[in-house]
Formats: sequence, structure tokens, C-alpha cells
Amino acid sequence: MMQDYVVFVGINIVLAWSVYVILLAGSLSFANGGFMAIGAYVSGVLTVKFGVPLVLAALAAGVAAGAIGVLVGFPALRTRGIYLMLVTVGVTVSVKAVIESIDYVGGIQGFGGMVGTTQWHVVALVAMVGCGLWALSKSPLQRILDAVREDELSAASLGINPVHVKLVCFGAGAFLAAVAGSFYAHYLIHVAPDQFGIVLSVFIVLYAVLGGTNNLWGPPIGAAIMTLIPEFVRGLESWRPTAFGIIILGLLLIRPDGLLAFRSITARARGIFVTKRA
Amino acid sequence: MDMAAQPILAVDGLRKSFRGLTALESVSLEVRRGEILGLMGPNGAGKSVFINVITGLYPSDGGAIRYCGRDVTALPSYVLARLGIARTYQNIRLLRRMTVLENVLVAIKDHASQPFRSLFVRNRSGGVAAAMALLEQFHLADKADRLAGTLAYGEARRLEIARALAGKPSLLFLDEPAAGMNERETEELAATIRTSHRLVEAIVIVEHDVAMMRGLSDRLVVMDSGRKIAEGNPADVLTQPNVVEAYLGTDGADD
Amino acid sequence: MLVEQLINGVVLGSMYALIAQGYTLIFGVLDKLNFAHGEVFMLGGFVCLASIALGASLPVAILVAAIISGLLGLMIEFVGFRKFRSPDAHITAALSSFAIGLVIIDLSQKVWGAEPVALTLPGTLQTATVSIAGLNIVVLRLAILVISLLLMFVLYGVVVKTSLGRRIRAVAESPAKAALFGINVTRVNQQVFFIASAMSGLAGLALAVRTGYANTDVGFTFGLKALAIMAIGGMGDLRGALIGGLLVGVLEALAFQWGLGQLADVFVWLFMIVILLVRPAGLFGTLISKDVRA
Ligand SMILES: Nc1ncnc2c1ncn2[C@@H]1O[C@H](COP(=O)(O)OP(=O)(O)O)[C@@H](O)[C@H]1O
Ligand SMILES: [Mg+2]
Repeated sequence: MMQDYVVFVGINIVLAWSVYVILLAGSLSFANGGFMAIGAYVSGVLTVKFGVPLVLAALAAGVAAGAIGVLVGFPALRTRGIYLMLVTVGVTVSVKAVIESIDYVGGIQGFGGMVGTTQWHVVALVAMVGCGLWALSKSPLQRILDAVREDELSAASLGINPVHVKLVCFGAGAFLAAVAGSFYAHYLIHVAPDQFGIVLSVFIVLYAVLGGTNNLWGPPIGAAIMTLIPEFVRGLESWRPTAFGIIILGLLLIRPDGLLAFRSITARARGIFVTKRA
Repeated sequence: MDMAAQPILAVDGLRKSFRGLTALESVSLEVRRGEILGLMGPNGAGKSVFINVITGLYPSDGGAIRYCGRDVTALPSYVLARLGIARTYQNIRLLRRMTVLENVLVAIKDHASQPFRSLFVRNRSGGVAAAMALLEQFHLADKADRLAGTLAYGEARRLEIARALAGKPSLLFLDEPAAGMNERETEELAATIRTSHRLVEAIVIVEHDVAMMRGLSDRLVVMDSGRKIAEGNPADVLTQPNVVEAYLGTDGADD
Repeated sequence: MLVEQLINGVVLGSMYALIAQGYTLIFGVLDKLNFAHGEVFMLGGFVCLASIALGASLPVAILVAAIISGLLGLMIEFVGFRKFRSPDAHITAALSSFAIGLVIIDLSQKVWGAEPVALTLPGTLQTATVSIAGLNIVVLRLAILVISLLLMFVLYGVVVKTSLGRRIRAVAESPAKAALFGINVTRVNQQVFFIASAMSGLAGLALAVRTGYANTDVGFTFGLKALAIMAIGGMGDLRGALIGGLLVGVLEALAFQWGLGQLADVFVWLFMIVILLVRPAGLFGTLISKDVRA
């Protein structure tokens, strides 16, 4: 039972971070549910049909999803950022439909036989991703991302290639979502395309946004709360979408910038202070 | 070829129109190494569009741009910035929700051109010293930790120039840097621009303030309705009849 | 039958186009994507179902569906977009409209259940056929096609010819300038939302009547597809939405004909990505956007 909580909360934390990484460069992705599905299926095929070790399969699945992300993200980002949002919706819809039509992985019935995820896998994954993001937040890259998010035009006239930056972040987010999906599938043993619809993608985005994207700690908090509350409050599970939607709307309306502000002013001033001393 | 004789920027027959409105009608000019070139003309003459096309913000509809002897006509703005063409905007474009220091740090060349390297290569100082030195020079050092969006108008203008210089450019475009400044601020600004001139090879400055332009520029180009109508040393150009007429023909040229 | 499939495709396409024009109208004016638009479409079918169940005739049900969908649009504008008007509020507006969409779906499922609900009209309207040039065609499909095209024609006329249209175009060009000319931008936004949502609701009604079912799923399946169609036609371009809709409808019908029906959902999005690569602005759009001016 405890193991269930650790695994599901941990996986949702990584998923929320996968959205956060993409948001860092100023894009919104509704594709992460789709990337998660790619991760689940690619790694599943690798372990079940080819006997590849789980961790290796998860990495391979992550790379595959990242490559697909870069491939479909490029045309969208080359023109206008808002197109990426459209493409991400398309990714999720398409991945589900493609998987449903492939008999090799069981079509609509789904695909089974994946085993091997332990809570330690998930804990290690959360720790590693967290450390990576923490290092990022202390590096000059954070400022570049801030600049791209705030004003692409301005960033470009300073020598930053916004398309490159956004594309790498999108690819990285796809990678993380797919790795999370891999461990998820190998815990559940059986997955079906239905689990990875657009609603899942929207939920993942809401985890990240609900916790606040001011810094890298918001998304995990949002993910943990939203995963655990329905478990403990009876009856809430069936009202989840409505409750989620209304809470998000309320927060956006009360603090439109708060949820998407990235690094509060105080945190920012402190960050600089640290940099100056170093 | 003699490097010194080669102009840093050579623009030939540059054209640009927006849905039927012709903003640039075959503009040709050269920017020489070591000079401050003044660009004047009534509002709507196409000066900002000229800068926007040169710096890759808008694609041109025709003509050629050569920078340091190299054809850069269709290059995107970030490539031009990396090659050493920097700019400020007529309506200031700072990263308002970032601090003053961060605005300059972002533009530090190594980071801007290879953003993901900084994750793996440890360079802890991150150019803070260089950035602070620049801020010092532009009298902004005490405001380093303020958010750029909270700066006064004149300070924001200065920060934009400092930021443009952080990438160590060779050619700097300033689009109405003194707009909205009072006389004293304008004089201070002229002094900073002269100092900046030591850091770059050439400056192109768009300004309406005749006195300032006369004092600053080595040469002057005047534009009207998308065309170059005069070019030469400031004293001569400013008395040319067609230049006077271009300015008198429109009102509000001084605001 | 190929010809019959083609006719089916055109009818399908006209419904896509109705929704896509709503997306594109809202995008053209606000420069934001309305992710709740597909759910307005979905609800249109259920409003019709409920009206009929309460004893209304079809014309009354149509009127009710249009009005309720329009009002829902006003609500979406107020809750999801009113506060998020700045050009860099794309993400916020996307989130808020998606959140509204979630609530609409969830509440609809609470009322009508997650399974499709049968919608049968009195009389033989859903089954009657005419034969034209040797083809048996369901009258209802023809009616849907004609009415959809008529609605889009009227919308085009309104946007191009009337003073409301002039105001809409002015706000689309630049809200700040429009405000300077004394145009009430908020009012125009409301009008646009009302029109777009009413059209979307009617499309939902048409789908429900045609298939004989109202279904809470269609916002995410059918409705989202229209979003891709909008991008294919060119975001913000009414003609593009119409032609894109018809094109995709026909191609999908052909896909079914050739046994590729399952992949119809994928193909629209791939088509969109390819279009973005070769014609970034879509078939008809221009890339000029309000926030790119410097
Ligand atoms: N992005 C744009 N879209 C359409 N017209 C533009 C755009 N930018 C500038 N213009 C037009 O081009 C002409 C020249 O403008 P500009 O270069 O800004 O003049 P100035 O010499 O005062 O800087 C003006 O008529 C202006 O309205
Ligand atoms: Mg100008």
C-alpha cells in the first residue's frame, strides 16, 4: 500500500516536472500524456519481447520520445510559439490512435507483462531529476530560459536562439515523461491506450501549474497533493475533473501571474546574491 | 583587401513594404569602421524599419546587406547578434521581470550562444564581474538587484545600451536613445555613447535632437518616406534645402 | 460507393468547418486558443436532446441550442478570457479554457452519463432519403450541408459587410487602436464569443441528430480535430476554416473507404504538422500577428 503511494506520487512528480521543463522556456505542452504512453509502450516492448533490462529500456524509450518531440516540435516552433500548443494536443491524440491500431502491442486491449519497477527506482528517479533541475536553477541557463520566456524577440537580439532553446526543453520534457511512463508501466504490469488520453495530459499540466511554477518545488507539491487527496477524501475521486477545473480557474483569476510567475522577486534577489558571492 | 578600407556594413538597394505600404524604397548606405553614423528623418521615414530589417527582425523584400564583407541578408536576428550586430529598441524592450544585473548577464556572449553548455561547464562567476563593470560605466551599479521593470525611463534606456554592449558587438544600432529624456539626461547620454564608442567599431544612431546629432555623429544620413535624401558631414547636411523641407513638411518631428 | 462516401465527407467537413470557423474567429480577434470550444460543441447535442425530451419541436430545439451555446460562450469569455487579455497571456488563457472544458465535460457526464445517449426525432426525418441522379441520399445530411454552408455564408457577410464586422476586424487588427477609435473591445469580444459558440453548438446539434446519439466524448475527438483544421486553413482565416474543414472531411471519408478509418484521427494532425513545415501560415493565413511588431 505504502509502495503504491510512493510510486504513483513519484511518477506524477516527474510528470509534473516534465511539463515544468517545457514551461521554463515559455511553451505549454499537452503532449506529455502521449510521451508517457510512448515511454510505456517502447520500454514495455523492449523488456517483454526483447529482454532488455528495465533501466536501459526506460532510457531508450525516453530518447525515442525526445526524438519524436523534437521532430514534431520543430515545424511548430520555427513559426510561432502558439502552434506548439496545437501540435502537442495532436501528439497526444495521435499517439493514442496509433497505439490502438497496432496489433503487435495489443491494440485497444492493451499490452501486458511489464514488471520490475520498485519504489526505489522511482525514488532514485525523483532525486536525480530534482538534482538536475536544481543545478539548472543555479546555472546561467536559468537566466537564458527566463529571457526566452519573457520576450523571445528581445532574447534573439541578444544572440539567443529561442527556437533551439525551446526545442531542447521540449525534447527534455518528452524524455522525462517517457521515462516516467516506462516505470509506470512496469509497475502496473498492464497498460491500455485508453489510460493515455488527452485528459491525462491536461491533468499533468494542472499538477504543475497548481503547485505553482515559481520554482522547481511547486510542481512536485501540486503533483503530490493532487495524487493523494482523492485517495483520502472519499467521493472526491468522482468529482476530480470539476474540482480540478474550478480550483485552477479560481487560482488563475485571483493570481493570474502567481501560478506562472517563475521565481518570486525575493528568490530572484537571493539567487543573484549567491552568484555574486561565489 | 585592406580591412580598414572595407566598410563594416554595406547596404545596397534595401526594400521593405508592409501590405502595400512601402517603408523602405531601395535604401543604400555604408557604415565605416570607427565612425558614429547619425540617421535622421521625420517620423515614419523608415528609420526603425531600416534597423529592424538589418538586424533580422523583419525579412527584407529585396536588396543586399553585407557585414564585414559577408552577405548577411537573410540571416535570423540571433545569428546577426552573435556575429556582432547589437541594437536597442525605440520602445525599450528590457526583460522587465528580471533584475538589472540579469538583463546584462543574459547577453554575455558565451551563455547566449551556447546556452546548454553552462549546465555542464562550471564557470561559477558567470561573467558577473564584467556585467557589474558595464553597469558601473552606465551608472546603474547600485540598481543591479532591482527589477528592470521598475527603472526610471532614462535608466532603462541606459540599461538597454549596457545590455547591447555585453555581447561585445562590433556594430551598435541605437534607435532614439534620448527619446523622452530631458536636456541634462541627453547630455549625459551623449557622453556615455562616446565612451561606448571605444568598445565597438561603429555606432549607428537614430535621433531627432539636432544639437546632439551635430555633436555626436561623424557623418549624417537623412531619410524621408523610405528613401535616403541626403548624406554627408552633419553641418552640410543639416542646411541642405531638401532636408529642411522634409522636416518642416511634417509636424511633430521633434517629439 | 465512392460518390456516397464523398457526399458523406462533404457533410462531415461542413460540420468541421462550422466548429473551425468558431475557433478561428476567436483566435483572429483575441489571438488566443479557446480550448473550451469543443465542449460547447458537445453540449449543443445534449441541449437538443433535452429540448426534444421536453417536447420541443426540432426548430425550437435548434433555436434553444443556438441561444444556450451562445450564452455559454459569453460565460467562457467572462471566466476564461476577460482577465487574460495581454498578448503574453496565451498560456493562462489556454489553461483557463481547458479548465472550463473539463468542468463542462464532467458536469455533463454527471447529468447524462459517460455513454452515448440515443437521440431520436419524431417522424422519419433521420431516415428519409431522396434519390438524386440515381443516388439515395439521406435528406437530413443534405439539410445539414445546406444549413451549415448558409450559416458560414452569413457569417462571412456579417464580417465583411456590416458595421459589426468592421468592428470585429478592427479589434482583430489591433485592440489598442480599435479602443482609440471608440470601439468597445469587450463588447466585440462578447459578440465574437456568442457567434462562434452558437455556431459550434449548432454543429454539435447537427452531429447528434445525424448520428442519432449525443455523446460527451465528441468535444475531445471531433471538436479538437477542428482545432487542427483551423491551423491547416490558416489561423484567423474564415475561408481557410471552411476549405480546411471540407478537405479534411472528404479525406477522412476516403480513408474510411480505403479501410484506414482507424487512423483518421492521426492523419489530421500529421497533415497539420506538414502544412506548418511547408506553409507556416496555413493554406490561407498570414503570419503577421499582433505581438510581433517591434
Ligand atoms: N510591423 C509593421 N507593420 C506595418 N507597418 C509598419 C510596421 N513597422 C513600421 N511600419 C510602417 O512603416 C513606416 C516607417 O516606420 P518607422 O520605420 O517606424 O518610422 P521611423 O522613421 O519614425 O522610425 C511607417 O509608416 C510605419 O507605420
Ligand atoms: Mg522609429
